[in-house]
Amino acid sequence: MPDQPLQPFAPPANLSSLLPNGFNLSAGVVVEWALYAVFAFWAIYTIVAIYHWLKYSHASWVAFPAMAVHLFVSFALMSYALSGSAFFLAPYLP
Amino acid sequence: MKEFELEPGEHVVRETRKHWFLFLGELLPYAILIILPFALPKLLALAPPMAPYVSYFEYHTILGRAGLGVWLLIWWTSAWGAFTRYFLNAWVLTNMRIVNIKQRRYFSREVSSLFLSRVQDVTTDVVGVLSSLLNIGTIKVQTAGEDVEFTMKGIPHPEQMRDVILRYVSLKPQNTGV
Repeated sequence: MPDQPLQPFAPPANLSSLLPNGFNLSAGVVVEWALYAVFAFWAIYTIVAIYHWLKYSHASWVAFPAMAVHLFVSFALMSYALSGSAFFLAPYLP
Repeated sequence: MKEFELEPGEHVVRETRKHWFLFLGELLPYAILIILPFALPKLLALAPPMAPYVSYFEYHTILGRAGLGVWLLIWWTSAWGAFTRYFLNAWVLTNMRIVNIKQRRYFSREVSSLFLSRVQDVTTDVVGVLSSLLNIGTIKVQTAGEDVEFTMKGIPHPEQMRDVILRYVSLKPQNTGV
């Protein structure tokens, strides 16, 4: 093996340089898709939890208020993340 | 009841869960994580070398707001999940048996019954200052013959629960060794 001088490794300046040519990815798009991913995970988790509430809560009166509070607070937080409007949570958020 | 069918003549006497104080203890990590993005800038500002990092916690920008919203959503949903699991774990006493419903996590549920006719001994255990003040304890129900033990941990008013169990077992409290 011939002796070769070590070539300095230059890391890419940003991740977009690793993408194929013509593939334009802005920070806004990344944030938007990250939010979609979080909301999709939230939706699956909430559906699973609501399924358990409906099936195993022994028809308790707590079930529907618990689900309603979760949905109200979650939608307010999602709205805040997307638009800055937090509805009834507005006095408590910056 | 979805988990078990009541026998003819059977009725639910009492349904109990872990003490609310123990549930609050489970909620504490979530509360800290929810408060963290609001408290951290104030704490950093107190230490002069860290003060420049306060600007990272600017929630009036689009990105900051999205980050804060997602952070709060994640921990709020987790806390609600903890409440769901707390609520779905229960002990049900009927006039014929004790039913232990364990919801370890989602899609992992165990329902076990112990018929009162097999109960030989009921023991209550309250350990610690806080448990004594709040009346939180453990009940151990032992069956005749085998080493089967039914344990209810962290329930409120364990003595009351023991008395109700014994009433339905038709044993006098002084004969139970409690």
